Amino acid sequence: MNGQRKALAWGFALAVLLALSVTITVTIGPAGLGVLDVWRSIVDHLGMGSSDLTRIEDGIVWQLRLPRVLTAAAVGAGLAVSGAIMQALTRNPLADPYLLGLSSGASFGAVLVLILGMDVLLPLAAFVGAMAALIATMLLARSLGIITPTRTILAGLAVSSLAGALTSLVIFWSATGDSYREILSWLLGSLAGANWAAVAISGGTIIAIGVPIIIGGRVLDAFAFGDTSAAALGINVSATRWLLLGGAALLTGAMVSVSGAIGFVGLVLPNAMRLLVGVQHRALLPLSALVGAVFMVWVDTAARTLFSPRELPVGIITVLVGAPIFALLLWRNRSAA
Amino acid sequence: MSFSSRRFAALAVAALSTIVLAGCGQAVSDTTDVKPADSGFPVVLDNCGTQVTIDEAPKQVVTIKSTSTELLLALGLGDKIVGQAFSDGPVPDEWADEAKSIETLSDKAPSQEVVLAKSPDFVLAGWESNLSADTAGERDLLAKLGVNTYVSPAACKEKKYQPKKLTFDHVFAQVQEVGRIFEASAEADALIAAQKKQLAGVQKAKSGTSALWFSSGSDLPFVGAGIGAPQMVLEELGMENIAADVQDTWTSMSWEKIADANPDVIVLVDATWNSAKKKIDYLRSHPVTAELDAVKNGYFVTVPFPASEAGVRTAPATAEMGLQLSELGLAR
Amino acid sequence: MSLQGARLNLRIDGHPIVTDVQFDVPERSVVALVGPNGAGKSSLLRLISGTQHGGQGDVYFEGVNLLAMHRRERARKVALVEQDAHSEFAMTVRQTVMLGRIPFQSVWAPGASQDETIVDAALETTGAAEFADRTLATLSGGEQQRVQLARALAQEPRLLLLDEPTNHLDIRAQLRTLTLLRRLADNGVTILAALHDLNLAATYCDHVVVVKDGRVRAVGPLDDVLKPDLIREVYGVTAEVMRHPRTGRPVIAFSE
Repeated sequence: MNGQRKALAWGFALAVLLALSVTITVTIGPAGLGVLDVWRSIVDHLGMGSSDLTRIEDGIVWQLRLPRVLTAAAVGAGLAVSGAIMQALTRNPLADPYLLGLSSGASFGAVLVLILGMDVLLPLAAFVGAMAALIATMLLARSLGIITPTRTILAGLAVSSLAGALTSLVIFWSATGDSYREILSWLLGSLAGANWAAVAISGGTIIAIGVPIIIGGRVLDAFAFGDTSAAALGINVSATRWLLLGGAALLTGAMVSVSGAIGFVGLVLPNAMRLLVGVQHRALLPLSALVGAVFMVWVDTAARTLFSPRELPVGIITVLVGAPIFALLLWRNRSAA
Repeated sequence: MSFSSRRFAALAVAALSTIVLAGCGQAVSDTTDVKPADSGFPVVLDNCGTQVTIDEAPKQVVTIKSTSTELLLALGLGDKIVGQAFSDGPVPDEWADEAKSIETLSDKAPSQEVVLAKSPDFVLAGWESNLSADTAGERDLLAKLGVNTYVSPAACKEKKYQPKKLTFDHVFAQVQEVGRIFEASAEADALIAAQKKQLAGVQKAKSGTSALWFSSGSDLPFVGAGIGAPQMVLEELGMENIAADVQDTWTSMSWEKIADANPDVIVLVDATWNSAKKKIDYLRSHPVTAELDAVKNGYFVTVPFPASEAGVRTAPATAEMGLQLSELGLAR
Repeated sequence: MSLQGARLNLRIDGHPIVTDVQFDVPERSVVALVGPNGAGKSSLLRLISGTQHGGQGDVYFEGVNLLAMHRRERARKVALVEQDAHSEFAMTVRQTVMLGRIPFQSVWAPGASQDETIVDAALETTGAAEFADRTLATLSGGEQQRVQLARALAQEPRLLLLDEPTNHLDIRAQLRTLTLLRRLADNGVTILAALHDLNLAATYCDHVVVVKDGRVRAVGPLDDVLKPDLIREVYGVTAEVMRHPRTGRPVIAFSE
């Protein structure tokens, strides 16, 4: 079948592209390391072959670049899948993973610990903040009556605004000159601190939560015409909605805890994939994950090398690249919009 | 004073100033426009792009940032301070008692009303942002209210006024300028002479020693770059700044780049909110930085935060850092 | 054998929407569900399809209680065509109709070639095959209606529920749709369609359920039930019931 074959072709191409991207970008960086030297060093760590690099050079490859590239891939995949699911659940192509107050809550938690100087607790605080905001959003939506997509979005907006204001207050009240920079970097989204722990968190979440919701998310097709329609097709609407929402929220929370609130990935990429392979989630979810991973790997490489020795927070570049793409998508879909 | 005595005093000051100015050399042409000292008052200056006219020596001063407070204390003008704000750390012991008696208006940049409540006639600020609508007030507005303002020229943001490369001559020129404003030129000259002597005796590092000026940050460090106070101090100590080719005062720099440069010495800025010890602990715990030569050898030199911004503590701090280098066996 | 509704009730925020609804209509026929606006027709259809929260009661069909079935099983028997179905995403006609196969697919065995065949048949039957690969947004109201019907048919339902399927349709399309429903009934599908046009109901439907204010006012063969007195009571208008000269079906003429 045409559609299915097209999706499979895309899937294969993207998987290959991802493997290539990781292999190539790990050799790119401000330190002048040869391509073969980098690969040999990795292979050496995996127990096969040997490397000539000094301890520091080896550290650059194995402790700085490789975990960062892998984390970028996981974060890109997670945010893209989460965005696709949010868009399906709210029946709104403009939804993003942060809709339910997730990024605002995470930001608040992160800024608090950054100002208190407890940097080590950053991922935990961000995650807890995200979940707290999510619970607040769902409670608020519930209190308005039966939970509908619109109510959920509005509740999320209220919680986001509140968390955002609190974050600004904390920043304004207590930030010294130095912490402004760290805070800004986190708020914009940055992979600068990605280490193997970050790989474990982001990669582990992709495996433990991302994969199940990619597979289970196929039922999202049924939601295309609303809840009643989905129920008439035999879907357990509320269980499905809660499970997928919860999964997407956990996924987003984990990613945000590792990299801050990187914008546009979860919004733009699923829409782009919808244009290319259609709306069926069986194809859309895994392909969004793959394209998210590839995108993030390259954008982060740009962030850490284009302006050397300075580094831009990767969230700036995702917006710079994502906004024109988004505008293009809107224009192409102007008949439907 | 009779007319002729006043004339004589003015000439004497002019002569003295000319000698000192001549000694400063070429660098002065880069700094703010300093009128020859024979005019006495009014003193008219172009300070970071704002024209400031001082008709008589200020008597009620609000200082913002440690560099401002310490400058006045060093010139023996502590009694003129009616309030200080945005202190970056404790003052050196020699001024500790005097500092205790100065009222603290705010931990951070103070608001306009808080400043005006002290009826100041002069605000001495360390950063341009200290003088904006949501901090101490817009400069022209304050001037209309009879409050003159002055920003440390080393911290001017506009390209035209920012020193192309900060040197101690810039720092001393500022001390001189403030000395003129407060009719304390003698004290200023004495201070400058003493600091120059200190600098002359600074222990320099062995030839070819490279250094990283680590200000703050963990995931993405913030380091001293090529044209500001860190570069000035490192050069005085005879060390090569690994970020010297970045045309900025400070810059962010990835650990990868730092690891690649593998500096011999790491200068750590010690701030109350981010101590040198915390930085050392971080450097030792991170798998890449733990392998840097400087970290393995323990070649750390510390500088207190208030001294890391251009001011009267910078020269003594530089000398002290030279002593640290010597203790580490890294001096010539 | 019949389609029976028993003790169907629904309250929303304390307001009664459907109250003690009971009906018994024969299978394999086209049953019209009529009543003024706000009578509760849409809610009743949703209740019967098992997609309405908070409803109570039972619906018996082909020997089983539909509302006691597992929802997936029920979706293989009952299909619902709503008014004004709308999607934010650019689905094609074929993709939309394919949704109707969801009750038969599982996560592990997503699509069978059989699904393709059934979808094609549904498209043919409803006359939507000619624009199968266009996106919904490019279709007219009537064409979109056809697509929604095709989607329901792809479920291969035994009971087909429709909420105002002739809204937005011109006369020809209306007649076409109802002729199709008649044909489906002749082939064994039980149809319950909410209709606002009494004459359409009269032309094509054998039986009728009349509701007003959430209650059943009358049930039975259309000829017997749709009398001027009832119409006056339910709709508040004067009606004359005549016979169509050729078909013999009732024709209703209205006046103030």
